[in-house]
Amino acid sequence: MRVTKSHFKNMFNPGAIMPDTLAKIISTKTLNDLKVGDAGYIVDFFNESEAIKKMEAMGLRRGRNVSVLQKQGRGIILKVNNSRIVITSDVAGDIEIK
Amino acid sequence: MKKSIKVALAGNPNVGKTTLLNQAAKTKLKIGNWAGVTVEKKEGFLEYKGFNIHFIDLPGIYTLEPVSEDEWIAYHFIAKENPDIIVNVVETANAERDLLLTTELLEFEKPMVIALNMSDEAGKQGIVVDIKRMSKLLNIPVVKTNGRSGEGVNGLLDTILETFINEYKPKPPTYGSSIEQVLEKIKTQKFNNGINKYDLLKWLCDGYSVNGEVAELEQASKKKIKNIIHDERYAFAHVFHSKVFKQKSSFKRDLTDRIDRIILHPFLGFFIFLGVMFLLFKISFDFSTPLMNWIEGFINSFLSPLILLLLSKLGAGIWIQHFFSQAIIGGVGFVITFLPLVAMIFLLLALLEMSGYMPRTAFIMDRFMHKLGLHGKSMIPLLLGFGCNVPAVMATRSMENKRDKFLVMAMIPFMSCPARLVVFSFFAFLFFSHPAVVIFGLYLLGIVVGLLTALVLRKTVYRGELSHFVMELPPYRLPRIRTVLQITWVQVKSFLHKAGTVIFAASIVIWLLLNIPVHLNNQSDSAAAWIGKAITPILQPIGIHDWRISTSLIPAFLARETVLSSMGTIYSVETPQKGTEFHFMPALEKQVKGFGEATKNAFISLLTPEIQTLQLDEGDQNLRRVIRSSLPPASALSFMIFLLLYNSCLATVTVMAKEGGKKFALLFLAYSFAIAWGVAFIVYQAGSLI
Repeated sequence: MRVTKSHFKNMFNPGAIMPDTLAKIISTKTLNDLKVGDAGYIVDFFNESEAIKKMEAMGLRRGRNVSVLQKQGRGIILKVNNSRIVITSDVAGDIEIK
Repeated sequence: MKKSIKVALAGNPNVGKTTLLNQAAKTKLKIGNWAGVTVEKKEGFLEYKGFNIHFIDLPGIYTLEPVSEDEWIAYHFIAKENPDIIVNVVETANAERDLLLTTELLEFEKPMVIALNMSDEAGKQGIVVDIKRMSKLLNIPVVKTNGRSGEGVNGLLDTILETFINEYKPKPPTYGSSIEQVLEKIKTQKFNNGINKYDLLKWLCDGYSVNGEVAELEQASKKKIKNIIHDERYAFAHVFHSKVFKQKSSFKRDLTDRIDRIILHPFLGFFIFLGVMFLLFKISFDFSTPLMNWIEGFINSFLSPLILLLLSKLGAGIWIQHFFSQAIIGGVGFVITFLPLVAMIFLLLALLEMSGYMPRTAFIMDRFMHKLGLHGKSMIPLLLGFGCNVPAVMATRSMENKRDKFLVMAMIPFMSCPARLVVFSFFAFLFFSHPAVVIFGLYLLGIVVGLLTALVLRKTVYRGELSHFVMELPPYRLPRIRTVLQITWVQVKSFLHKAGTVIFAASIVIWLLLNIPVHLNNQSDSAAAWIGKAITPILQPIGIHDWRISTSLIPAFLARETVLSSMGTIYSVETPQKGTEFHFMPALEKQVKGFGEATKNAFISLLTPEIQTLQLDEGDQNLRRVIRSSLPPASALSFMIFLLLYNSCLATVTVMAKEGGKKFALLFLAYSFAIAWGVAFIVYQAGSLI
């Protein structure tokens, strides 16, 4: 999940998003946080968009180890098992990593 | 009568389905090392041990939940068209990814064979497969294949027959117990056991239920039924993979990763891309020029006089001799001269496709394309467009988004194909002292007009956010020379076929029109001239005053090369034939020597770093001189621009209508005419002032 302006606005809005939830959101790492050469494993996806579904079918699934081979503009090349997959940073932002 | 077996080849993209089919059925279908080469179902037929095997090669899919058009085609065939046997092609090294589709295919409970392809690559990576166990667990035959070398292909064919005769049906995958219980209950109560697992799951996914079982399942797992099934399939594939596949050696950066470090480098990568494009043009020009010279000489100084000699010996009338030298040699022969250039371009594009570089350009160029509101992925159809616009338009099927598809389709016709290059190289060399610069400029102009078109469309018709993209990069593979030559040959054959049909027919029609009414003294009174003059008012503002050029433009709508053949025919009617002495043996000797020399020069040209100008030898240059004298350079340039930008190719218009609808194709045709005319007008008027 990406932190958006509305999260901060909601901080002062009782009953909306709680500070501990916010802290959790901020500490959550997404694929965008990995640098070239870094590796991590996929914890979860933040939505079920078609891009995410296609990516899953291509092998980027929960629990899978991924490493970042290259970044350029909005493109990221990931290595999963024996395949290389290009995704764009908007999709990468929906992938939680540890 | 022989029994026929309908076999569907299904698998993930770029796992080698078409290569396997080419090996098995000796077909010569187009292959490449990137996902999405096959975008429609292709067929191959084979007689094997008394059976007629009918192969259907489907576009690659990752899952039976289709998104793009090519994926729909594959899904539809498997789910609705009832093949006798499914051959599931699995890339051994990527089996875990591929097994999701396998899992879905198993649910159909249809006779099935698994082909573990590219087993050699997997072996090198230390991957070991327990084939016996795999086959036992799934209750279907599993065979190792290697599409590149053809290894295991006969074994696959035998297995297909065996599976067909014995009707080996797979054991459908077993999922979690709670879902299995529900499935079992509905299957017996509602469908009386008459439904396969895939359809049953689909029925559940569509929201049906007997006694609210779906709601119960969803509540228990806090997931939607679609996601429950989705996850169960992944889990099955994962567990199955871990049982059967073992990787011996530890992970290491392989050769592809090392090459990619340089080729996909944020800065170097872009310059390497430019370098590759430069080499593509340099090699195709420089290598083919000496050979083109040779063919021209061969046709004009050997073949033509030889046949004329034979014709006159046989007592053929003057009309037949004229027809031969003007329509056939002047028209068709003229176009054939450019064969080496066309072949070279196709050969080099095939190398790009087979090596795995093609999809990488999508990644390299996305940074720039993105700024223009385009997808990096659109690079692939655009690059293919330099080979031929028709398959390029077809390739847009793999775009996930309709809007992206239309945007790219509206750009492709501006990518100059070899048919246009043939015309450009003739005109540019005839009129300009730096033909390579002119041709390069024309290519660039096409790209710029394509980009501007996309930009305008993005701001008007196809607004909205640019979609993300997800695509796979294949490993680099050393292209097999035989395969590359085969792909090139298929294209060359189609060029020759065009020369023998469309171009030949157009030349005959033009020749006839030139000779109507008969016994003309002046060709400018002929029917052909009359037609050309009728459309001259439209072309006059762009500098085309001569009826001979405007007449040539009419058949060019069938295929652009016919501009040359028609002009060849028209001008050779006007050019008086020189009666020269012809002696067979010395002429033949000269040709053989000339060919050796041309080949040597072609290879030597590869050693120079810059593009050498397209200097054709001054040989039989009558035709060239006549054309040069009838057209000022500004007109020649505007003529080339017009031909570049106007979508004058029947095949492209037809395929655009098929992929994007008639309205789209016709609107585009009108647009391309307007833009071609407009740009040509500006260039001509500016050029005339200088």
